[in-house]
Amino acid sequence: MKIDWKNITIRNLAALVCHALTKVGIDAVLVGGACVSIYTDNTYVSYDLDFVSHASLKDIAEILSGLGFQRESSRHFIRKDCPFFIEFVAPPVSVGNEPIKKEEMVKTRYGSLRLLTPTDSVKDRLASYYHWNDPQALEQAIMVAKAQKVKMTEIRKWSEKEDHKEKFDTFFRMLKA
Amino acid sequence: MLEGLFGNSVIEKIFFTLLVYGEGYPLGMAKTFDEPVNKFQQQLKRLEDSGIIVSRLVGNVRLYTFNPRSPFLDELKALISRAYEFVPEREKELYYRKRMRPRRKGKPQ
Repeated sequence: MKIDWKNITIRNLAALVCHALTKVGIDAVLVGGACVSIYTDNTYVSYDLDFVSHASLKDIAEILSGLGFQRESSRHFIRKDCPFFIEFVAPPVSVGNEPIKKEEMVKTRYGSLRLLTPTDSVKDRLASYYHWNDPQALEQAIMVAKAQKVKMTEIRKWSEKEDHKEKFDTFFRMLKA
Repeated sequence: MLEGLFGNSVIEKIFFTLLVYGEGYPLGMAKTFDEPVNKFQQQLKRLEDSGIIVSRLVGNVRLYTFNPRSPFLDELKALISRAYEFVPEREKELYYRKRMRPRRKGKPQ
């Protein structure tokens, strides 16, 4: 399959990477802003693909070099003709103090992609808002919650456990405004 | 104290610094402990890569803190706090009790 690296979508690139890794038995889950891009159909545009994997970076680098991505620093990979930047962040896959138990599977013509569920994607963005007061992360959480069906009761309970009930109320108010 | 667990003494110094002051930067730590700055830069990078700490640029300084999103943070801090209780008083005085409150520009140090 010929790939137009310059114009590839974030969704297809993520699936391509995920598929290449899965083929050799490496599990990787897409997290962070890339999930927001996918769930909002690029209303929010991210050029960072953050994956979490328990495999060694050496093994991952070998597979990514097969796709033309070179290791830029310890955890980053780039391909000169591709606008996206791939990072393998340290495991585990978690949102705040909670491990991720269920992932979403999206099928594309480039293969299957494993990523955070919409509910966990909202929690992931809210965690950045809760801990760093990041207004962009709050906006992204709202975007995902508007574009996808999410479990709001679960998000509220998780927020209370994270000790951020007030900030959850702000998020919820803005979502309903 | 926890050198064996953490792999080296620099990590222990970084952890105690972040625990006591809440944040730190490589040159500041190097000056405090009178050790080469690259030792701290290397270990801070290692800890950042593993998701235990995070950094942000403030002016020209890269400031490090514990990663509040790490799922192991509470347990790690509990371990570091426990170890800190055993740091000799003289060492605490030397390294971990620096003035942190503001001091107006122009006043003698």
